[in-house]
Order: sequence, then C-alpha cells, then structure tokens
Amino acid sequence: MTLPATPGQPASWQRLSPRMLLVHPVHEVLRQLPLVIGSVVLGSATGNPWLVALALALTVVFGVLRWLTTAYRISPEEVQLRSGVLQRTVLSLPRNRIRSVSTDARLLHRALGLTVLRVSTSQQTGGDGEFALDAVAAQQVPRLRAILLADSLAVADLEAAPGRILARWHPSWLRYSPLNLTGLAMILAALGITYQAGAAAALRNSSLLQPGLQAAQRFGPVAIAATAAIVVLTASLALSVLRSLVTYGNLVLRRDADLLHLEHGLLRLRENTFDMRRLRGATLREALPVRVFGGARLDAVMTGVNGAGESSLLLPPCPAATGKAVLADLIANHDAASGPLRGHGPAATRRRWTRALAIPAALALVSAVVGVPVWVWVVLAVATVCCALLAADRSRSLGHRVSGGWLVARAGSLERRRDCIAGAGIIGWTVRQSCPQRRAGLATLIAATAAGFKRYQVLDVPVDLAWSIAAAASPWVAHNRWADQPAPSGASSSIDGNNERTG
Amino acid sequence: MDDVPAAIVRLVDPAYPPSRKAPLVWGIGAGIPWLMMTLAQLVWIAADRRAIWLHALAAAVTVLGIVVFVVVAPLWRYRVHRWEISLAPGPPAVYTRTGWITQERRIAPISRVQTVDTYRGPLDRMFGLANVTVTTASSAGAVRIVALDSEVADRVVAQLTDIAAIGDEDAT
Repeated sequence: MTLPATPGQPASWQRLSPRMLLVHPVHEVLRQLPLVIGSVVLGSATGNPWLVALALALTVVFGVLRWLTTAYRISPEEVQLRSGVLQRTVLSLPRNRIRSVSTDARLLHRALGLTVLRVSTSQQTGGDGEFALDAVAAQQVPRLRAILLADSLAVADLEAAPGRILARWHPSWLRYSPLNLTGLAMILAALGITYQAGAAAALRNSSLLQPGLQAAQRFGPVAIAATAAIVVLTASLALSVLRSLVTYGNLVLRRDADLLHLEHGLLRLRENTFDMRRLRGATLREALPVRVFGGARLDAVMTGVNGAGESSLLLPPCPAATGKAVLADLIANHDAASGPLRGHGPAATRRRWTRALAIPAALALVSAVVGVPVWVWVVLAVATVCCALLAADRSRSLGHRVSGGWLVARAGSLERRRDCIAGAGIIGWTVRQSCPQRRAGLATLIAATAAGFKRYQVLDVPVDLAWSIAAAASPWVAHNRWADQPAPSGASSSIDGNNERTG
Repeated sequence: MDDVPAAIVRLVDPAYPPSRKAPLVWGIGAGIPWLMMTLAQLVWIAADRRAIWLHALAAAVTVLGIVVFVVVAPLWRYRVHRWEISLAPGPPAVYTRTGWITQERRIAPISRVQTVDTYRGPLDRMFGLANVTVTTASSAGAVRIVALDSEVADRVVAQLTDIAAIGDEDAT
C-alpha cells in the first residue's frame, strides 16, 4: 500500500483489507437474519433446500460486492470514502477538520487481525455521515492514524518516543462498578427476550412448574420473593463487575505530546486518539454511588466530541485522586482540578431547600386535608428526609472558581459534576434569571463553547458576581462599552439602532 | 483563594429597543392560535349545551391565556428586549437582553461569529420587521436580535458581516 507523501500527487483509491471478504458475508448473514431464517423455513416446508443455498449465496455475493465497491483515498487536502452497492455515496472530509481518530475491533475482527477506523470532525455527524473504514489491517493503523492526524504532530516523533502514561487500569477500580445499573438492565433485557420467545408458555407446560408451586406453598411467597430478589441482585452485581472488567480491563491513557491516546477492552479492543489542541476542558463526574466509595469518572470536553456517553470518556469510575491528578495534568492547572471552590451563598442554599422540600410539603398538606392512613405518613416522612439530605448535598456541591483562565463550576448531588472549561474556548456568555431567581438575587451563568455539551452553567450565583466571573474567565467581557468600570478614555462607537438616523 | 478580581464587573444594559411595532406583531402572532381556540369553543357551545360549568372553565382558561400571552407578554417583552453592537472600545461584541418571565442577557464577541442570518416570517414582512440571528460555533451561543425594523436589520447585517470577517478561522 502506498500513501501520498508529496502534496499535489494524485492519490489512488485504496480497498479495505481483503480479509473483510470473510467478515462481510458473516455480518451480512447476521444483518439479513430474518431473510435467512425465512428461507430456511420456506426451504424445509417446501422440501426445496436450493432456496436456502440461494439465499446464502446471495448474501455472500452481496458481501463481496460491498468489498469491491468500498474504497478510500487520502489526498493532501481531504480523505474520501466511496461506498454503496446500489446507491453510490462518496463521503469527503477536509483533513484539517479531523479532530480525533478512534479504532474498534470486535472479536471477529481481532481474530483476523483487522480494525475498524473511525474519523470524527468538528461537525458532529452521527449514523449515515460517519466516516468509518470497516476494516483495515491492524498493522496499518498506527501509520493511517499518524497520516490522518498529520496536522497535529510530527509522525516520526511518535514512533520514536512513546508518550507518558497518565493512568493505567487497576483491579481496585472494579469496586466502583457493582452499584452500576447495567447488570440489572442486562438481566431485564434477557428476561424480556426469553419471555417474548415464548419461554413463558413453555414454562407453564413444563414439569418444573409443579415442584416450584409446591415449594412456594411450603416456604411462603415472601421467602420465594426474597430469594428471587437476592438471586437477581447477585447476578446483577456480578454482571456489572464482569462488564466493567471486560470493557475497561487493561485501560491505558497515554499522552504523546499533542495527542491523547486511550485504549481499553479485553475482548473488544477500542482505541481513541484525541487532538489535545482541541481540548477545551474536562469534567469530573461523581455519581452518588461512585462518590460514596470515593470514586469519579473523567470526561473530555473537546470540539468534535460529544459531551455525553462513551465518546468523551477518558477514565471510567476510578479513585477520585487519580481522576483529579489526570485532570490537573491535562489542563496543566492544579487549582482548577482540585482546588477549593467559592460557595454560592445563603440565597442559593435557600433555593436548594425550597425546591427540594416544596413537593413533600405540598403532599403533606394534601394528606392532612384529605386524611390518610398512618403508613402514608411514614412514607412521606422518609421521602422528606431523603429530600432534605439531597438539598443539603446539593447546596454543599454548589461552587465555582476561576483560576489561571479556567472556569470551574460544580453542582449536583446524584450526578455531581465539576466542569473545568478553558476561558479561551468560551465563545459567548449568558446570564439567565427566572422569576424566583430575580427575587432571590441569583442568576445562572452559562458559558457557551463549541466543545462537549456546548453549554456549561454556573448555577445560582449571586447576580452581582455573574459578570465578574465571566470577566475573570474571558477578559473581553470587561473591555467594552457596557462594562461598568473605569473605561479607557476615547471615542466609543457602535452601530446605532435609531431608526430616524438611518442615512 | 482565586483570581476573581476584587473589582466587581457589572454590565449596563444594551441601549436599543426593538421596533415600536414589535408588541403588535408579537400580540398578533400569539393571538392567532388563541383565536382558533375561541372559535372552537363557540362551535362546541353551539353543538353541546349540557355541561355549563365545563364551558365556563374553558372560557376562563381562554380569557386568561389571551390576557397573558396576547396582551401582557408582548408588552412585557418589549420593555425587556434590548440590543446593542459595540465596535469600540475593546473587541467588537454583540449584546442582547431578552425574555419576559425568564430573562437572559447574552454577549458574544464578533470575532467568534460564524454566520449572520435574517429571518422574516409572514407577519414580520407585513409589518416591515426582521429578526437577525448571529450564530457562533456553539449551539448555546447564538445571539438573536428579534423584531427590528427592516432597514435597521439590513444595516446591522451589513456591518456585522463587514467586521466579522467570516471565514478567517473556524472560530471554535
């Protein structure tokens, strides 16, 4: 394979790895599973096995056609992907817009030494517009990645000096996974599928049911329910831990000069390369169950990378100290990563409490008027205590800080997050006040960026402080005609909105 | 403990209100769906006169809705809405105040502006108004200057596109 080295030289179209001739038909069969099953059923019903062979042959031919029609080209200015058997599409990306390159190898790919390579740009394209090379030979990946990100680094340097390792997975990180709900979700999904597949009907007719019912009569429904709950809970814990191990075991976060490199996965190997110059900050997320055990998860705030989900993940739940150390290293600012924050004052605290207790208070009032049994009062009391704890924790979380050009904002209880955003990456400020906020003298300051979630807010700051925080993070806020502070003398001019003076 | 300057920065509000016709246009815009609703209720009363209290309740909701959204909201918004574009001192910036119950002040430097769009709906065209949207690379950062007189809007767009030098960099 030759790759264009000199600009101006016409690049040639490259095919994907020929080994995909093995993978594509399998994927095609899996994708067309209803068709295959249908033809098998039809074939056996009509006693005509040729139908099955025909269907299989068609899917295999389609897989071969897909390989033949898919090609990519890397020219000095752009990368192009040509695909489609019946409907031809050509996807072109300007190379200077490439923000990150990620790879992903499932088991079948890994067995054949293949890797899917995805390129993402600042435009967030999902689904159809995705630029994915599915798949290329694994040994080509480092070279392709270096070429695709060539604007970001000297390729030779990367080969010579593997970078500094920021974090490496440790088995103790598994202790943050049991409280995850993914295990439970997996069990429920599996139960749903088996039920739909007719397992319930099979169970009703089976010989297992009678002994089961007898056991239920002997031990009582409470004992049975408790046993079932314990079994499900244990299975859910085990599944969560197992999933965490399989997904993140062997995770390594490495930094090579201007590139951030994340790789993880025991079975399905995933690698993600971020261009550090596109980093606009990072978020330390401490979900309550993780925070209880002193853990935190780290997400990148980067242009061209979605704020939520897997794509922005830098560290899965890990000890908070590790998360903070990596965060401090990434943004080169220790104070922003773990320094103390300035609280938002009594008015913000009061607002947390009124908001948390309004619903329990209203319910209590209704209950008192209507008259309810005692157990309702017990439930209400417990709910009120929970709400009060939530309010206390939420007001304790609230805080902000501006240090060295970084805006830091922390809020939330069940999903507490500490956002660190680079002042240079903030391209607009909003001060929002709802009616209750105006009465309480508070405001929500919203920083707009092109990265991650796009909007990062400092919740309920005293209104007098709002613009000061904005000005501390982006100095241009204080340097204009509206800023209420000693301005440099000189003519000020603006576009004037008076209709009469249009001339 | 942190570098928030001791001097507190306050921003005075932007200077210019929207067009004088703005509350009228907003009122008419909000009035059309409520008019439909009133007509529907009249038809309902003509067709079915059994549950008088239900009719009364619906009528009360409609009257309240008309008062709030057709009369109060446009006037309130007209009092709140302000816009201004500053060229000097400091970097050029656009600053707006919008809203009624929830109010927002939004500022963006013109160097980060990506596009400047004008939008004229049917009502806007009828009354010679235009809305200008200044978009930045962030979906949370678009600044909208609504209900300007057409000629003011044209002038704003022309000058903004002049200074923004759109396309110089990708402004992210």
